[in-house]
Amino acid sequence: MARVDLRHIEKGYPGLKALDDVNLAIESGEFFTLLGPSGCGKTTLLRTIAGFIQHDAGEVLVAGSRIDQMPAHRRNMGMVYQDYAIFPHLSVADNVAFGLKTRRRPSAEIADRVQRALELVQLGNHGKRLPHELSGGQQQRVALARAMVINPQILLMDEPLSNLDAKLRVELREDIRDLQRSLAITTIYVTHDQEEALAISDRICVMQSGRVHQVASPQKIYAEPATLFVASFIGAMNVIPVGTADASLSATELPERLRARAPMTLAIRPEDIVVGQGANGNALALDGTVEKVTYAGREAYAHARCASGLRLLAHLYRPSAGQLALVGETVRLRLPLDRLHAFDAADGRRIELPA
Amino acid sequence: MIAGRRFDVWTSAMLLGFAFVAVLLVWPLWSILAASFTDNRTGVFTLNNYVSVLTRPLYQTALINSLIVSLGGMAGALLLGVPLAILTTRYRIAGRDLLATLSVLALVSPPFIGAYAWIMMLGQNGWMRHGLAAIGIELPSIYGFFGILLVFSLKFFPFVYLLTASSLNTINASVEEAAEGLGASPLRRLFTVTLPLVLPALSSAALLVFVLALADFGTPSIVGGRVRVLATTAYNLFTSEMGGNPGLASTTAIVLIVISMVVVALQRWAVRRRNVAGALLRRPQPRVLKPFASAVAHLVCYAIVLAASLPSLVVIYTSLRKTSGPVFQPGFGIESYARVMHEVPHVIANSFSYSTISVAMIVILGTLIGYVLARRDSPVAGTLDSALMIPYIVPGVVMGVGFVVTFNVPPLEITGTATILVLMLMIRRLPYSVRSSASILKQIKGSIEEAAISLGASPAQAFLKVTMPLMLPGIVAGALMSFITAINELSSSLILYVGRTMTMPVRIYLSVLDGEFGTAAALSTILLVTSGAAVYAVFRLTGSKENAFV
Repeated sequence: MARVDLRHIEKGYPGLKALDDVNLAIESGEFFTLLGPSGCGKTTLLRTIAGFIQHDAGEVLVAGSRIDQMPAHRRNMGMVYQDYAIFPHLSVADNVAFGLKTRRRPSAEIADRVQRALELVQLGNHGKRLPHELSGGQQQRVALARAMVINPQILLMDEPLSNLDAKLRVELREDIRDLQRSLAITTIYVTHDQEEALAISDRICVMQSGRVHQVASPQKIYAEPATLFVASFIGAMNVIPVGTADASLSATELPERLRARAPMTLAIRPEDIVVGQGANGNALALDGTVEKVTYAGREAYAHARCASGLRLLAHLYRPSAGQLALVGETVRLRLPLDRLHAFDAADGRRIELPA
Repeated sequence: MIAGRRFDVWTSAMLLGFAFVAVLLVWPLWSILAASFTDNRTGVFTLNNYVSVLTRPLYQTALINSLIVSLGGMAGALLLGVPLAILTTRYRIAGRDLLATLSVLALVSPPFIGAYAWIMMLGQNGWMRHGLAAIGIELPSIYGFFGILLVFSLKFFPFVYLLTASSLNTINASVEEAAEGLGASPLRRLFTVTLPLVLPALSSAALLVFVLALADFGTPSIVGGRVRVLATTAYNLFTSEMGGNPGLASTTAIVLIVISMVVVALQRWAVRRRNVAGALLRRPQPRVLKPFASAVAHLVCYAIVLAASLPSLVVIYTSLRKTSGPVFQPGFGIESYARVMHEVPHVIANSFSYSTISVAMIVILGTLIGYVLARRDSPVAGTLDSALMIPYIVPGVVMGVGFVVTFNVPPLEITGTATILVLMLMIRRLPYSVRSSASILKQIKGSIEEAAISLGASPAQAFLKVTMPLMLPGIVAGALMSFITAINELSSSLILYVGRTMTMPVRIYLSVLDGEFGTAAALSTILLVTSGAAVYAVFRLTGSKENAFV
């Protein structure tokens, strides 16, 4: 349980900037997620904190003291891997006991703590089993117990759920979250799955090409993406370039107070688009032909195409039979102005639109 | 593993690896290459050796004979191995494990033992020749192409069988079922779907057989009669009574290497775009044959494997025959063993001690270098990896000649010592050990070691507590296999030995040439039993994986 500060972390490989001036402050007890596409530097950052990668420049502080030069095995961090990294030649109990044995704890204490850790992950009576007798989900629970039992200052998790099937993934995700809350252990969690990140985190750090795009709560990341990249990486988003060479919307179609901002990129979530006739109100109204409706039970998505060539995806909540039969029809799509996100055409940064 | 400390035990291991490769591989081969371009008398640069080898009938014949026996041996091995692989993987054959085990035993017994056992069976006075003649079957003389091809086919088919069978076992059952569903007859399915899918395994087995047959010295030397091949020619040129001809011997050696290289390149080219790896969702299930077909299939399988096992049985039987001097008497006795114990105890001791020492070096070096190659992905490691490919294609005779040419003068004057034999055994087998420990390590995920480190184990502790225990069965199995090849090594030892440092294979070879079949049989039996025991140990360690041997 300790806070982690990363200051100006740099890491380069030949022809590649893996980490580019990363600055983060992770609070004690926080569940902090590094999110981004593969190759964004999230795993490099995690392994830098663990001590398996030596960064080129910058400082790593845990509880206020620098640990950059400390070898990995002295850092007292628990690590959980995507491939479980269970020692296949040791029993479940011996796997969990490994860290305590290297710390030379008395055997009675080891037995006691191992048993309690296994009970925490609901494997209390599996201690004598060998790893190959366990399912993937159970192996990852063993890895979790093994990492927690040493009372690490920080728990590091590298895509721990990626190798599990969908149902198990959600189940173990909840367990990890509950366990982390009850132990109040500072946790840094790496994933490329935005839904997982939104569900599990206190705060999310969205990364791309070694740079941090935004650090904020899941709600804020979703509602107020700081960059166009964050906007399109998290959830579904309609992206509408305005007033540029490849623009699908001419600036003249915009209300006057927005027009001055062009060139820029507008964005709107499918669930914010209103489909069908009605008062335009304070919204940008476009006509589009519905090309396809994708039905998903509780909801559906209408794929529409405007005369300008602009394609829009609109969310239909509890769709009616009429809405599902819209294919081929031309409909009015209303984009409420207060739901529009705007980003700088050049650097992709968020622009606050005048109310 | 730990960043920031580049010069550690693994860097030293890599440097050590380079040192061994440079001194024991590159230098001798360079010496041979240089000698092949040097005039023996004047010591100046010349192309005459190559002109001689390529134009003089003696060498041309040897070259053609080499190609005939290598291709013929390969064809024979395919002819026996492929049907055996198909029958045992696609149809229910009783005693499949027994067939595989007997094939492995045939594989690890040295070819020269097979050669001389067949002489005892099919030579002028052989019981099998007489038996077959009695029922009207006249065979050509065992000496010559017939003998060489017979021995090669029966000796090398297990490579084809084991590699192809394991590949056949990893074809998704639904692929063949789909072919069947599309209306392909069983035979058509075999040739249009099954065999193309196993082609990479099949062709690498064929390649292996070709290279081994090309390099084999003992077989053509014992049953070749007047058929001379490149390996025997190089040996004779080098050890000839008239002072030898290192220039021509070296040139012949280079020609041998070049042929091997060309064949390896051809095979690589042939399978270049055949990456047929797919998810193994459903293993193929062997089908039950109709009674008559099943009987025929069993007969074929057992006939092949028993024919391959026959030489070993004959050798063991011969070793137990009563002898008086070199002459066999009726009945059984242990005179042959008494003789070898009395006359050549040092030969037996040499074989065991040289093999053990070289295997110890192989294990230590091989594990360290294998670790470096598996865990450190650098151009330097890549270079070392490629250099370690060399012994795969360099015949023992060539390495032997290279060692003598290089190490009979200062600074490393070790010709005639036990050291040179041990180093030879080591360098010839080291690459196999490096590869096997590297591949074992690649199966051990790096994250496992890291997990140990993050739990507080130092890198050294992590290696000892986690990596080593996981590698150990593989290392021991590899060591046993190295031991088998080391103790059975003939060709290079034959060039390097002196009276004091004679080994069992050399003694067997000389005994066979002298017609001392009892002594040869007793020593061969010791080799066979030792190899068999090692095979048994490997089976126990690896859970009966025949493929550990190919």
